Amino acid sequence: MIRCIALVIACSFAALPLCAQGTTQWILVQSTLSYHMSHPMHEVDGVSHGAKGKGTCSAGQCSFLIAAPVNSFNSGDTNRDLHMIETTRGAQFPMVVVRAQFPQALTHAQTIYADLEVQFAGQTARYQHVPFERTAQGDQVRIAGTVPATCSDFKIDRPTFLTIPIRNEIPVRVDLTWRPQ
Amino acid sequence: MRTSLACFALALCACLGASVAPAPLQAQSPSVTLSGVIASASGEPVNGAAIAAKNSATGQVRTTQAGAGGHYAIPTLVPGVYSLTVSAAGFSAWTTQITLSSVRQTLNVTLTELPSVPGAATPSAPSLSDLGFTQQQTQANPQLQALLDKRTHMLRVHQRLGLITAIPMAAAVITGPMAKAKGKNGEVIREPTQANLDFHAALGGTTTALYFSTAYFAIFAPRIPGETKHGAIRWHETLAWVHGPGMILTPVLGYMAYKQENAGEKVHGIASAHGTVAWLTAASYGTAIVAISWPIHLKFWEKNP
Repeated sequence: MIRCIALVIACSFAALPLCAQGTTQWILVQSTLSYHMSHPMHEVDGVSHGAKGKGTCSAGQCSFLIAAPVNSFNSGDTNRDLHMIETTRGAQFPMVVVRAQFPQALTHAQTIYADLEVQFAGQTARYQHVPFERTAQGDQVRIAGTVPATCSDFKIDRPTFLTIPIRNEIPVRVDLTWRPQ
Repeated sequence: MRTSLACFALALCACLGASVAPAPLQAQSPSVTLSGVIASASGEPVNGAAIAAKNSATGQVRTTQAGAGGHYAIPTLVPGVYSLTVSAAGFSAWTTQITLSSVRQTLNVTLTELPSVPGAATPSAPSLSDLGFTQQQTQANPQLQALLDKRTHMLRVHQRLGLITAIPMAAAVITGPMAKAKGKNGEVIREPTQANLDFHAALGGTTTALYFSTAYFAIFAPRIPGETKHGAIRWHETLAWVHGPGMILTPVLGYMAYKQENAGEKVHGIASAHGTVAWLTAASYGTAIVAISWPIHLKFWEKNP
């Protein structure tokens, strides 16, 4: 009898990590995506709060999907935003879609290293091991980091001003707040 | 002599105006229709695939979408070398160079499906349709892309011509005092030299021709549906209501002043406002250039590479 109870207790402890690795779903409640464009005479940030996202963690792996309309980015000037949409072929490819993958075991880590697949301007770019800082806020989780995107990753012809092109680097700052569904 | 130089200035303006204006009367050449079928590697038609044909010589882009059965057609293409891009959600973009010469040309395209991220194909991974975007937000709009391409092309010409116009405009403002009779009424009036007067008139004429060519490309650039203007572009456009009328008034007053000076008179009446109007016009024009370029990082040499 005692051996039987001991076996049940042992099995229960063994099952705990599996319970912790059960399926959880996340929904994006607040988002700020901002790209930074740099030129010798200009520093411009285009900001979007129009992203939507969902995430699922199961079988030890988390898959997150975040998407934002290209035309939701606002740099403070209509002319510049329309030019950005034209240059990135934003009418033909109207969404920026980001798929993130990382081990479920990292969901409670302070820094999450995610593999990203970004679809933008008709191209797909992959970024490995991108660090995101995780902050718990009540039942919500805030994730912030920077995607090291470049124009050449997406075959974007760099716009010029006074014949000087913008820098190739267009880092995208990501600040997302998630809550479990 | 004065009349002939004035005629020369006007002829120069006309030539410049003609050279920078768009050329709608190009030689007519037979057009080409490019058509075909877009399919996946398994032979399934890819309806809704976006097709863009960019003329390598002119940079002009024509776009369309594959319809039922993956069929597409782009009519009335000018013969030449084109860069053709075909793209569709879930497929790698496909690009090729093609020379269009015959009246009808067929090009069938097979798209390769995108490899998915490990885990993305698992049944639990969320998909784009789960996020609740409207079809209007997610659907490709080739017509809008073509409109944006045309708009950017016209505004790029507008920008370049605008900067070029600033050169003779500044020169005309600087040479203004040299083309003006000096001395008060009742005193000996010192007439400007004929060369100064004609040089100033030629600069003014050149500026006027370039200015209205520049304005053409901004006024006739396509408007984007649903576009609500904010930011620096509003200042840029508002200032056009100052330098636009100024650019009409300045040459008219300048012509009146020119005639008075040629008649040996000191410039008088409304013509005497020529200089002031020209200064105001040039100042608002310069401000419009700064406004559209704002915010400018002035000490750009201090920036990190």
